[in-house]
Amino acid sequence: MEAISLIVRSIFVDNMIFAYFLGMCSFLAVSKDVKTAMGLGIAVTFVLVITLPINYLLENYVLKAGALAWLGDDFANVDLSVFSLLIFIAIIASFTQIVEMVIERFSPALYSSLGIFLPLIAVNCAILGGSLFMQQREFPNIGMATAYGFGSGIGWLLAIVGMAAIREKLEYSNVPKPLKGLGIAFIITALMALGFMSFAGIDM
Amino acid sequence: MAMNRESNAYTILYAVVMVVVVALGLALTHQLLKDRQVENENIDKMQQILRSLNVDVTADEALDRYGQLIQNAYLIDEQGVKVAETEGTAPQDPAFSTELGDPEAKGLPVYEAVVDGSLKYVIPMSGAGLWGAIWGYMAIEADGSTIYGAEFDHSGETPGLGAEIADTSFKQQFQGKQLFRDGEFRSVAVVKPGRTDAHRDYVDGISGGTITSQGVDKMLRESVGAYRDFLIKLNMANQ
Amino acid sequence: MADYNRKNMALLSSKTKAALLGPLNKNNPVLVQVLGICSVLAVTSKLEPSIVMAISVTLVVAFGNVIISLLRKSIPNRIRIIVQLVVVASLVTIVSEVLKAFAYDVNKQLSVFVGLIVTNCILMGRLEAFALGNGPWPSFLDGIGNGLGYGWILIVVGFFRELLGSGTLMGHQVIPQAFYDAGYQDNGLMMLAPMAILLVACIIWVHRAVNKELQEETN
Repeated sequence: MEAISLIVRSIFVDNMIFAYFLGMCSFLAVSKDVKTAMGLGIAVTFVLVITLPINYLLENYVLKAGALAWLGDDFANVDLSVFSLLIFIAIIASFTQIVEMVIERFSPALYSSLGIFLPLIAVNCAILGGSLFMQQREFPNIGMATAYGFGSGIGWLLAIVGMAAIREKLEYSNVPKPLKGLGIAFIITALMALGFMSFAGIDM
Repeated sequence: MAMNRESNAYTILYAVVMVVVVALGLALTHQLLKDRQVENENIDKMQQILRSLNVDVTADEALDRYGQLIQNAYLIDEQGVKVAETEGTAPQDPAFSTELGDPEAKGLPVYEAVVDGSLKYVIPMSGAGLWGAIWGYMAIEADGSTIYGAEFDHSGETPGLGAEIADTSFKQQFQGKQLFRDGEFRSVAVVKPGRTDAHRDYVDGISGGTITSQGVDKMLRESVGAYRDFLIKLNMANQ
Repeated sequence: MADYNRKNMALLSSKTKAALLGPLNKNNPVLVQVLGICSVLAVTSKLEPSIVMAISVTLVVAFGNVIISLLRKSIPNRIRIIVQLVVVASLVTIVSEVLKAFAYDVNKQLSVFVGLIVTNCILMGRLEAFALGNGPWPSFLDGIGNGLGYGWILIVVGFFRELLGSGTLMGHQVIPQAFYDAGYQDNGLMMLAPMAILLVACIIWVHRAVNKELQEETN
């Protein structure tokens, strides 16, 4: 139950894009049509769901102050948190690279639709952001961390698909010249974000 | 370059050397800066304690003001009795270094402050908000019931919503509220804005930050509640 | 995106000066190349963290560029991205450690967003597009230029959000009490995250109204 509430919150209230602007670069670059937006959204969700639990385990059993206590009393005072950023990004980058290779080898069709986004994902702020928020929020167990990853990913997917749908319709609109393209995309994002703020009252 | 840049051996060697260099570099930086970081954390804690006494000072002045205002600090046990040999206000002393909720803690920290000639007690609080930890300090008058000031902070509540608990307007509501009513410990309720609570003093929660507000309410009941016997003693002594 | 980068390379490697000054205006990483808007707008609700963020990013881009440029002949191509990420992540960790030691308050306000500099696309963009193909000195200038080009936008946004949202600048009250007495109110909306995006849209609007060649044809 708590996990469901966490998922709902991370989709609507603390949406990666609309509340924290994480993953804006690819959000703006790849939101020109719904189909590719969907592909990227799924890829982001997938990577978040896998990397968050991995990083959660690393954080709690290797990196955090006192996390190495399971190795024996000598290690109880070791604090490796200075390396957390490095480890998180290394996990994310290697994981995306592995997934890319696996998909390319076994499913060229999937690769051509999804694989091209994977290199982009290593530097997608939403993924690293997920891990950093996980670290900051100290989730009680790995299940909650996974649920958070899933919710954040779906929230991101929802945002980018919605954005792409609006931009497809936008072709027929008369936008002031200097605002064409990037400018109007920013304004739409801002308005969508304001809209999402009305979900803030959600209480489960 | 004699070696082939794309060979496996070179790639692996490169990666290993890189990891070692980076690890050493970061560990060194961390060691060099660690003392200053710990000092900053202590000063930050002092600033929070001072803010609960409605004294808002910059980091530079915090140490001096803390020394002036905080006269004593010690641990108490669950019955509200001072634990022997725990007095001292410095960062390495038990009261300052004890974390709430630490199973090995010898007791609950209490700070005694003298502001404008009158004695206040400052107690720490800690709880959970929507996303992560929330914590704070509460300054209580010598009668053990009247709140003199409160300070809240959080690790990652939603900006503009739950994060507002760290805002002055929220904290100021607590001033003058009573923890006791009819001689019984009731804590202070955090209610939805516009609602009331007939049984105890209350403050308005954050609109849109329901779960964080509930977290503060729970923290007030539990963290302050842990000091119940201590506060009752103060209350009795002053009647 | 790739087209942009190729164009930049040709443009920038021809002149060192262009490497430094281009990103401030015609080649601005945020306004033109759409890089690095990511996380960091979330820290612009006040001017001070915006400035610290701008400086941090500038330093990380500049030194990341130099290091990658020095290593460019030795990096195995297969682990190129990982090497870049490791260099950037280490620099960011150092920045975050230094902030914790010397600017604790600001560090607290920036919270996870210091760490998120790692995934700021400007960094990877510049490392890939410039540092891998140029010497250390032009790379350094390119880093400074891009950092500043990104920084001034951050600072402008931070300036307006703090001024209009809380009536202060760097924490000091600048809107006189007389205004409030006359009925003026701080615009609470400016403190909300979406307004940062809207302000960037306004900057883009002005920027493209002046630089007509940057205007796009389609929506």
